[in-house]
Amino acid sequence: MRKFIPTAVLLGAMLGSANAFAAMKVVTTTQDLESIVREIGGDKVTVESLAKGYQDPHFVEAKPSFIFKLHSADLLVAVGRELEIGWLPPLISQSRNSKIQPGNPGYLDASLTADILDIPTGTITRAMGDVHPQGNPHYWLDPANGRRIAQAVQARLAQLSPGDAAYFAQRYADFDRRLAESQKRWKDAMAPYKGLKVVTYHRSWPNFAAAFGLDVIGYVEPKPGIPPSPGHTLALQQEMKRQNVKIVLVEPYFDSKTPTAIGRDTGAKVLVMPPSVGGVPAITDYFKLFDYGINLLVSAIKESGPR
Amino acid sequence: MGDLALAEILDFLAAPFAASLILTGIHAYLGVHVVERGVIFVDLSLAQIAALGATIAILLPMSGGDPHAPSVYWVSLVFTFIGAAIFSMIRGKQARIPQEAIIGITYAVASAAAILAMSKSTSEGEHLKHMLVGNIIAVSWAEVGKTAVLYGVVGVFHYVFRKQFLTISMNHGRDDATGLNVRLWDFLFYASFGFVVTSSVAIAGVLLVFCYLIVPSVAAMLFADSIGKRLAIGWTMGTVVSALGVYLSLVLDLPTGATIVCTFGLVLILMAIVRVLIPRLAPRPV
Repeated sequence: MRKFIPTAVLLGAMLGSANAFAAMKVVTTTQDLESIVREIGGDKVTVESLAKGYQDPHFVEAKPSFIFKLHSADLLVAVGRELEIGWLPPLISQSRNSKIQPGNPGYLDASLTADILDIPTGTITRAMGDVHPQGNPHYWLDPANGRRIAQAVQARLAQLSPGDAAYFAQRYADFDRRLAESQKRWKDAMAPYKGLKVVTYHRSWPNFAAAFGLDVIGYVEPKPGIPPSPGHTLALQQEMKRQNVKIVLVEPYFDSKTPTAIGRDTGAKVLVMPPSVGGVPAITDYFKLFDYGINLLVSAIKESGPR
Repeated sequence: MGDLALAEILDFLAAPFAASLILTGIHAYLGVHVVERGVIFVDLSLAQIAALGATIAILLPMSGGDPHAPSVYWVSLVFTFIGAAIFSMIRGKQARIPQEAIIGITYAVASAAAILAMSKSTSEGEHLKHMLVGNIIAVSWAEVGKTAVLYGVVGVFHYVFRKQFLTISMNHGRDDATGLNVRLWDFLFYASFGFVVTSSVAIAGVLLVFCYLIVPSVAAMLFADSIGKRLAIGWTMGTVVSALGVYLSLVLDLPTGATIVCTFGLVLILMAIVRVLIPRLAPRPV
């Protein structure tokens, strides 16, 4: 890299091309990462997300433009922890872009510096049920991890474009300050409901729950990716009644039939809660993601009365 | 696509397009058999059986839970052959029960059994679903080459024994008239067919494979009776639709597989309209 940049600058200057000074091209897999990269990269980067926030990031239908975007990318930022394993690896290898191959500086696995939950310890056996060997991939739902992601993005952007390092550092400091302010606001809003028991559809929310003091007592899915079974649903309803659970969180891309039935039976409120930026049009950045979710939760709790 | 040159774009689409031509080649041919036999959904059923096999293989200790372990492929192939054996057993004497019913039942039970197996799996069910959702835009030249060789072998096998295969397909339901060991040739047909479908589904997904199999054959029947002409029309249609579908998916930026499927539907409708407007194009009774 160190050798490459002066040569490129020289070539660009010689050819009178603006190319060497053009914004760095960043591609992210999700809009959450896109938002964070935009915060740090400012106008020194262009950033595009492959998946949209309203899509299930486990399954994304590849379009021809994905390959072209990856082909011309300087940096690919992925969520990692096998979230994109079903669709991203063949696209990366077909992109014919050596920069963004895993292991190269143009590939950033945002999870490497994040605080990951649900990592199984010891040997994985059948008796443990479903376990994700690399931990839960929905880690961006803790703002503290958002900060860690931003830090990793800042370091990588600075590595790829050393001339702009100070710019990225300044943008990170600004992001960090605003995030800290918002974090305090979000925590204050959730503080009265610490320990609130909820049920979620998929295991998307452990980091969110840990950050804001929710207690997830069960899941609508018996196992990730497995449709609800009657026995599991009945057991869940009984458990919800026993523990007086009044909130069910459902990601927008799952069928709401079973959660609605559970809500009818238990009197719990079913909230469609987007786990990603872009999940609904109102969530346009990483801050609004939490604004939206916490607003939704707080007004639902107020409506369903004191617990 | 932005700053990519046209040549580069075409270069990226070359492998998916080559893959779709290979699919056209073998499936338009197999489709003639499948339509003659009236076992339209047999490929969905065999693909689902293969997926069930793969799911069970992942549960077995020898695969170590890795969906890409070689044992997974072999177990799924064995399941496909078991499915082929079932389908070759069920015709003939029990003519009162339509073969499509058995195929449908097999499909439903294999799908459900795969869900049950997944719920016992230590790895996430999410990963297993990908086996039925190929992604033709991300196919590599290595896969294209491997598939071409495999299908070449199956093609030669079918060419060498074309008399037997055609005889049992054209005389479907009239086993005694052929003088052949129908069970054996049926099994060989379904086994080679299952082998092809299992590999195709991994590249292109269930929907697309189904279209490559059935649509060219049906379209050809609108205009021709003889096997030779039907194959020629089917192959031409498959090629044109593949090119058109890949092109539309590029300019409209839509998922490639689904775009090709819808293009198949549109072209079939157009061909049917042409057939209605120009009656002399109808196949003449022999």
